[in-house]
Amino acid sequence: MPSRLKRIGCSLLLCLVSSVALAEVVVVVSAQNPLAKLTRSELADLYLGRTSRFPNGQPATPVDHRENSPAYLAFYREYLGQTPAQVKMHWSRLIFTGRGQPPHSLPDSKALADFVGENASAIGYLDDAHLDERLRVVAID
Amino acid sequence: MSKKQSFSVLVSLILMWGYTTAVHAGTPSLSLNGFGTLGVVHSDEDQAAFVSNIFAPRGAGHSSDWSAEVDSRLGLQLTADFTPRFSSVVQLVTEQRYDGSYEPTIEWANVRFDATPDFSLRAGRVVLPIFMNAEYRKVGYALPWVRPPQEVYKTIPVSNIDGIDISYRHRFGEIVNTLRATYGQTHAEFPYRDLNGDLTSGDSESREGVTIGNNVEWGDLRLFAAYSQFRLTIEEFNPFFDIYRFYGPRGEAIADRYDVDDKRFEVVSLGASFDRGDWFVMGEWTQTESRTFLADSRGWYVTGGYRAGAITPYITYAKQHIQSSTSSPGLAQPGTEELDAILNSFLSHQPQQTSLSLGARWDVAPNLALKAQLDHIDHEDGSHGYLVNPQPGFEPGGSVNLFSLALDFVF
Repeated sequence: MPSRLKRIGCSLLLCLVSSVALAEVVVVVSAQNPLAKLTRSELADLYLGRTSRFPNGQPATPVDHRENSPAYLAFYREYLGQTPAQVKMHWSRLIFTGRGQPPHSLPDSKALADFVGENASAIGYLDDAHLDERLRVVAID
Repeated sequence: MSKKQSFSVLVSLILMWGYTTAVHAGTPSLSLNGFGTLGVVHSDEDQAAFVSNIFAPRGAGHSSDWSAEVDSRLGLQLTADFTPRFSSVVQLVTEQRYDGSYEPTIEWANVRFDATPDFSLRAGRVVLPIFMNAEYRKVGYALPWVRPPQEVYKTIPVSNIDGIDISYRHRFGEIVNTLRATYGQTHAEFPYRDLNGDLTSGDSESREGVTIGNNVEWGDLRLFAAYSQFRLTIEEFNPFFDIYRFYGPRGEAIADRYDVDDKRFEVVSLGASFDRGDWFVMGEWTQTESRTFLADSRGWYVTGGYRAGAITPYITYAKQHIQSSTSSPGLAQPGTEELDAILNSFLSHQPQQTSLSLGARWDVAPNLALKAQLDHIDHEDGSHGYLVNPQPGFEPGGSVNLFSLALDFVF
């Protein structure tokens, strides 16, 4: 019995560890994009529609994961400090005055890696397991 | 009516023209979005009706103690990006209109040109940026409450103008400042009871409207200030004041002081909000001034809420007070008693009230929120507050309790 409990406890812990690991996302741009770092507020400005340009003036196209996917939840919680409902409320305030549309969402990490890898103006985020040579990780201060 | 139709046809043509040219440019995008509210309100005052705004004749209270017509509405919006710099928005809203119908009206219909990413011009039917939450005042999902606090938002019930709008965004380090100026005109039909008590409609017309609003965003803090002035005419009241004009210079003076015939109307409003994510506080203050029988009033509210997971309980305290006199001696000469009494009823019935609201928002799903709200409204002596259609048994200066349920959605 105790060993069984222990096993359950271990697998719970494993689950927890793996979900935490899954939830670790990094911000990426195309390797052709010279951008090396952004402040948290610059990142928030890009993802909340306050600007459509990188700090160097080049046009920026942010892309999202699907709403409520683990990467989406982790990104908005850890980098922007916002819940999905807050993000939705923010965009509903902008959309209905014609002041912008939220970033396009892509179906999975592979699609996101492909899109960002092929577009010098794109910025996205993904689980670091999906990093490849076409992408550059952006340091967030 | 035909003017409105030709306007919408013109906008559709611009849209179609823009869309076809954009297809060739290879960068078009069309987005359809919608919002809406299904809401019911119960009022415990059965001698008058609580309505969403002065443009709606029916509400909760007198004719039905529960009403689904106060807060329910549906909005559809088509946004077209023709090129990165040139876009257009058309938004249709259906809600109870002045004649009790639900015919959709054009809320926004404008074309926008971004001269730079931070400097844009819009022409057509554009937002009137008079309050901090004015741009999405009809989008229940975007608001913490069932409806915006009436002590501020009902003072200027108009949400759009036909004209132009200039917006300039500038950043100072972490501060984003957005300055907006609009110029244009608007007219709105409203229901009212004539001297015989029959329901009819009037037309209020605002011309030469200039509104300047400034918005500062600094992290979780948002500050707002706006000034607006326009020339207001409500033709339906002119015949009444013309009677005063028959009585010579003293009558003229009364008519000039109180009529609504091309009179300058000024509005100042301030707002602040601080949103930490798990809690927020927000407040607005507004003042209106004119030389009409419509009172010079000050209204304000403070509200706060706490987000406990998907549930956000909130509390709001609001007050509206009249600065100008709520009575007039009138002509006070033999034969003018009835005339003076009507003038005084116009003045004394202006909204003066305080209200306390308690509510909770439940974010059921990412695009669906359910809200429940209790309002306790105290009318000051002699005031009807914002209640309409008072019956002979209605006593001004009383209090009214409302219970509201609303389901807000966006898509």
